[in-house]
Formats: sequence, structure tokens, C-alpha cells
Amino acid sequence: MSTKRFWTFVALLAVGVVALAACAPTEVIVTEEVIVTQEVVVTEEVIVTQEVEVITEVEVEAPEVPTGTLVRAISTFPNSLDHPQAAERQASTTDYQLYDSLVWFGEGGKIEPQLAESWEVNEDGTEYTFFLRDDVVFHNGEPFNADAVVFNWERASTAGFEYSYHWETASNVEAVDEFTVKATLDSPDALFLSTVADNWAMIPPGYFEEVGQEGFDAHPMGTGPFKFVEWVKGDHITMEANMDYWRGAPKIQTVTFRPIPESATRVAAIQTGEADIVTRLSSEEAQSLLGVENVKVVKYPVERVYYIAFNNLTTGVDQPTMDAKVRQAMNYAVDVDTIIAALFDGFAEPASGFVVAGELGFGNVEPFGYDPDTALALLDEAGYPNGFAMDMACPVGAYTHFEEVCEAIAGYLGDVGIDVSLELMESGQYWDLEANKELPPLFGDSWSAAGGEAFRRLTGALGGMDASYSAWSDPTIDDLLAQIQATPDQDARAALYGELQEYMQEDPPFIYLYQPVQFEAINTRVQGYDPLPFEGYDLFDVFLVGE
Amino acid sequence: MQRYFLSKLGQSILLLFGVLLLVFAMVRVTGDPATLMMSRQASPEDMEEFRERMGFNDPLLVQFGRFMSGAIVGDFGNSLHFKTPAMPMVLDRLPATLQLAFTALVFAVVIGVPLGLIGGFNPGSYIDNIARGLALLGQSVPNFWLALIMILYFAVELRWFPSFGRDEWKSVVMPAFVLGLPVMGQIVRMARSSVLEIRGEDYIRTARSKGLERRTIYTKHVFRNVAIPLVSVIGVQFGYMLGGSIYIEAIFAWPGMGQLLEQSIGWRDFPLVQALAVFTAVVVLALNLLTDMTYAFIDPRIRYGK
Repeated sequence: MSTKRFWTFVALLAVGVVALAACAPTEVIVTEEVIVTQEVVVTEEVIVTQEVEVITEVEVEAPEVPTGTLVRAISTFPNSLDHPQAAERQASTTDYQLYDSLVWFGEGGKIEPQLAESWEVNEDGTEYTFFLRDDVVFHNGEPFNADAVVFNWERASTAGFEYSYHWETASNVEAVDEFTVKATLDSPDALFLSTVADNWAMIPPGYFEEVGQEGFDAHPMGTGPFKFVEWVKGDHITMEANMDYWRGAPKIQTVTFRPIPESATRVAAIQTGEADIVTRLSSEEAQSLLGVENVKVVKYPVERVYYIAFNNLTTGVDQPTMDAKVRQAMNYAVDVDTIIAALFDGFAEPASGFVVAGELGFGNVEPFGYDPDTALALLDEAGYPNGFAMDMACPVGAYTHFEEVCEAIAGYLGDVGIDVSLELMESGQYWDLEANKELPPLFGDSWSAAGGEAFRRLTGALGGMDASYSAWSDPTIDDLLAQIQATPDQDARAALYGELQEYMQEDPPFIYLYQPVQFEAINTRVQGYDPLPFEGYDLFDVFLVGE
Repeated sequence: MQRYFLSKLGQSILLLFGVLLLVFAMVRVTGDPATLMMSRQASPEDMEEFRERMGFNDPLLVQFGRFMSGAIVGDFGNSLHFKTPAMPMVLDRLPATLQLAFTALVFAVVIGVPLGLIGGFNPGSYIDNIARGLALLGQSVPNFWLALIMILYFAVELRWFPSFGRDEWKSVVMPAFVLGLPVMGQIVRMARSSVLEIRGEDYIRTARSKGLERRTIYTKHVFRNVAIPLVSVIGVQFGYMLGGSIYIEAIFAWPGMGQLLEQSIGWRDFPLVQALAVFTAVVVLALNLLTDMTYAFIDPRIRYGK
């Protein structure tokens, strides 16, 4: 074939192809095939990057010296970096990078040594003797010792802060010698150590006396792995590595905390790499980040339980729900699994009771499960074969999808003949009514609890007339809670929680709903980040790869 | 002139009093702050103690008196959430909000005024069509939606601008654009319709028929008259941007007063909300006063009027 003929052939072929492409459907299929092959290539690329990620997690070692800047986006700016004044979790977990306490939470919420190397408890659980480390200095070089602990206790327990009660738990704290300190309690408090771990942040006495509260608020300091650098209100908080930290220098040079109130913007910030860790994402947002390059979604159960409360103190008196069988029936009537699947993409755990996963004594009871037949039988036994009517209320805008959850529950209860009229209320008004115990006999809410135990949630929601938000009182529960409080031994306490859980299934004061899952997203260059269930975390072990 | 000024000043002070009354009353009908401010573990006694300490148990008149005497010197008490004086916190945030509002205003004026004028002088031209389209778009697109879309496209996709914060000059571009767009729209429409209206006035025809130069007609007769409604729009809108950029500041995590207001409402932080509301009201009233002064400067009818 000569060159000229060849080119004519090519030209004809090209024209033919174009003509075919314009009219023939077969050609369209060809282009589609091309797209398919491209898609295959893309999937392969994703697999490769995932493999790379796994390798980096295993092999990369922490840098020798603190390196890089970690940006953590939080949903609201802290009200204060003085730990006893921190008003909510995002504030207290931020400021805790500056401080240490005597003890800290380890695996599974177990208490571990921190500034105290060890401790002893007397037999009746009213005296705790802490043996302190002797090699700790504050950020300004002041030595940490027993006097500092005494000073901190005196300051925070008498300052009239809203959260001073965490320090008032101890009725006296005194120095035994330079590195031994003894805390005395009026009555045994099993949660004392977790209270200390969560709240007793140590600040330097000499510095505080020199600069005063205002000066300390402007430039806080403790013994923690990071030192305060600056705080531009509403914009950022900067901390830098404490090279003289008693556990050794941390592995990140600078940590910046940035408030981003809008969660959609936090999602954008992790995608652009402007933030390395973003907190408080919804399940939809977390799902939208799955498969995004350089982003890893982290999820963990939250120490919170959602519930519909019964009332035997005010509005619920003389109602059918005074009968334990009715309350059991109502637990069987609600299909919590379907609610979780439909509204939370499956990202929540059905609650088996008021003690949730990750807390002491969890695991000896099962969730009621969805069983409308048993529910009907129980209602029949209780003398309500045709059901009854009842009022229910839920707050609006306070919790994710909670309005829909309540509507679903009203529907499920309707299915077994319980005619619920649901009222959705603005949350401010709702909590006023709840505190005054004026809500309808069925009302929805949720309760968190810090410190690895459900104790404060239980006393808060079941404390009867003495507790602001309780609508329920039961002497058996009171008795078990008193025993739990007086039992310092963790295993014995776990058994008591178990007993309480069983009782609270026989005689449920709530319709147990679910334990939510918390989502965060982190950049894949962040290594060693492992948040605790109450949103606490320790940046000491965290480092950045590729810096 | 002086009388005009004094009467406007009197009106402003009266309005300010009304605002103070409203601010005082409004935060007290939204619910009991004790239930929101206190932790869930708080006992009923703790709550009562809190109400007593904050003075929420006193008669309303006593509370109002206390509020007014503090408000006059800018003292709104300590923020409940932040535990520090409320007014200095507001002033801390002022530069960020001013920067955002000012940039947005400059953007709206620089784009909006020429477009509106050109459109008004050449109705039906293609620049006029573009201007009208932009104006309609600017005024009808919900700006929280636009803000999110812009973040998705210009920050996440293209990486042209940071998605949040106030770090570099680029940070202000997206929030200022979103904040300024509806104002721009309004300026375009106002300028255009004023020009159209004034062009048809008798005195313009007279000026033209007596042989005045086009340029003289525009500068002496048209622009001056167009300026009056424009100044009022700009004055009002600048006030609106200073106080009303709550959700734009929240979406872009812009550390200004709007974001502080959004958070303080969430915390039901009475003193802070009051300080913010009163401060914004004072700024808006001052701006209105300034606008009125500018009228007098532009419009001799006001200057020489009785």
C-alpha cells in the first residue's frame, strides 16, 4: 500500500467513524466501555492508597524531636482555659493539654498514675493518700509538690466556680511530706479517683499568686505536655511543646485549636487539609468523608444514653405507667433497631439500660428488643387490653434527629394501642418544665456522664425530688446507688451496677433508646490519636507523618 | 440645619431607649436561665442560689433599673458563660466584623453603583440586562446556601481560598462576597431606577433644552439626585451587615460579633446577648444619624429647610 493510499484510507476511516458516531448506537456503547475502563483504574488507585495508609500506620515511627503543627477544629470556642471554670467538654478537653492531674484514665476507663505515682485508700474509703512524682515542674519552672496540690484544692473548692463541687468532694487535703498528700472525704465516694482524674488540673501556686485570676486566665499554665502560647478570642488558641515534660517531650511542636461552629465547614476544612482533626460530625457528614483522600473517619461510642422517661413523682402519678408491666410493654413496643437504621444510618447502639458500653458494670443485660406481641400480652395482663391515652413531650433542636425519634416512638406505641399525643417544644422552655417536673408523664431526653461510670447519670435522672431533672423515685434504686457510692472496690461496684441493671429491666423507669456514636475525622498524617468515650484525648502520643 | 440635626438626635435617643427596653424584656421571656446555665447535676437549691445571685428573683422594675444604670456606662455585667465583662468581649470582636462589613460594602458599592448607573442610562442594553440579572440573583439567592456552595467549590475543589477563619487577606474574600451580594443587588436596582426616574424629570429636560453639556447635566442634576436614595440604602445596609452577619460569620468561622452572638444565644448568656444587641443598636443608630447628616450635605432642601 502506497503512502497516499494509506492516508486516503485513514481519512475515509476517520470520516466513517465520525459518521457512525453521529448516527449509529453501536458507537455509543464503545465510548461507554472507555468510561468503564477508566473507572476500574480509579478503583485500583484507591486500593493502592489504602495499602499505603496501612503501611504508614505500622512502620512510621514518631519523630525524635517535636515536629509540625497540628490543627484541631472544635465546634465552639472555650469559655475559659482555667480547668475548673470550663463550662463544657470542648473547653475542658482543650485546656487539659496544658495540665495534668494526679491520676488519669487508661484503657477501659481504668484509673492510672499520672502526677501521683501511686496511692493508697484506707479501709472505709474516706482517706486517699497520694505519693507524688518528685521530678515534675510547672511550665514556669516552679516545682510540683504536695503544697501545690493543697493550694490547688483550696483555690478551686473555695472560688465559687460553677464546677467547684468536683473539688468539694474532698473535705480536706493536706500535705504529709514534700511529695505525699492526703485527701479526706466526709463519706466514701467510689467515684473520687475518676473525679480527680477528670477535674483536678494542677496549676503553679507561686505564679497564680503573682498574676491573680485575671492574669492566669490571660496566660494559663500547668505541668502538661503543651505550653500556652496565645489565645485570639474566637479565632485560635496556640500551644507549643513542653520540652521539659516529665514524660519526655511530646511529638508535635505546635497545636492550634480553631473554633468552627458550622459542621459543614468543618467537613470542608478536613478535606482541604486546613484542619488535621475535626470533631462533632453527624453520621451523614462522616459518611460523606468516607473514601476521601487523606481523610480518616474515627468513631467511638459516647457516654450518653437517650431515653423516654416515665414520671412517678408529679404528672405520672395515677397513670397506667405506674405499673411496671406497662413500662416493660412500652419498652418491647418500640423498635429501636429500626429507628437507629433509619435515622442514624445504623451508627448508634441500642441501649440495654442506663449503663452504656464503656462504663463500669456494662454488659449483663440485653436490650428489650422489638416484640409487639409480648407488649400486647403484658398490657393485657396489666389490665389495659384496649390500651390507653397519654401525653408525651420532646425537645426540638437539642439533639440530632430526636424529633423524628419521638414521632417514631409515638407511632410504635400507637401500634400496641397506646394513644400518645406528642408535643414538641423549644428546648429552653422544655428544660424549664423538666426542672420544674411539669412535663407530661412521658418525656424524651438524654443524659451523659463522664468518668467511666454511669453513677451521676443514675443519681441525676433517678434522684427523685432532690434532683433537678429527675421525675422518678424508687427506694430499691436509691439503696443500690448508695451501696455503689460506698464501695471503693471496682469489681464489687461493677457487680452492684449489674444488679441495678437487672432491677431496672424488671421495673424500668425509662424506655431505653440508644447510645449515640461520635464521629470525628482526622487527616491520615495524624498518628496515634485515640479519643476516649467522653471526648477526652491525650495529644502526648500523637505525631504527624511527612513533616 | 441645627434643628434638623437636633430632632434626628432626639429621635435616635428615643429609639435607643426603646431598644434597651426591648432587649431587657426579650431575654426574659425566653425561659429560665438557671435551667440552661446550670449543669444537670445541680440540685434545686443550687439553682435557686444561682437565681438569687444573678438577681433574677428581684422585681422586674428593680432589674430594669439595674440594667439601665449599667447600660448607660456600657456595663452589662459579666458574661455568664465566659465569666468576664461582656462589653469588652464585644469590642474585642469589633475589628473582625468591621473588616468584613467594610470589605463587603466596598465590593457592593464598587460593583453595584456603576452597573446601576450604566443600566439606568442605557435601559435594555446588554450591560443593563447583566446588571438586572445580577441584582435579581444577589437578592434572591439565600446567602447561607451560597456560602456553603462557595466553600465546596472555591475552597474544597479549587483550593483558591481558605474554607474558614481570618488568617490572610484571602480569608475575607468569600464571606465578604456572600455578605455583599444582596447589598450589591439592592444598590444596582436602586441606582438604576433612580436614574430612570430622574432622567424623565422636567428639570432634566429643561437643562437639556437650555443647552447644558451632557456631563454637566449628569454631575449637577442626575448624580446628585441619585445619590440621596443610594446614601440611604448604603447607610441602612452597612448597619445591617454589622449586626446581621450572624450566620455568615458562623459558617465561615469568622471571629466577629455575629459569631459571638450566635454562640451566646446558644448559651443563653443574657449579659452578652444584651451587650451585643445594644452595641449593634447604637452602631446602627449612629449610622442612621450619619446618613441623615449626609442627606443634608447633598440635598440643599434639607440643609435650608425649616
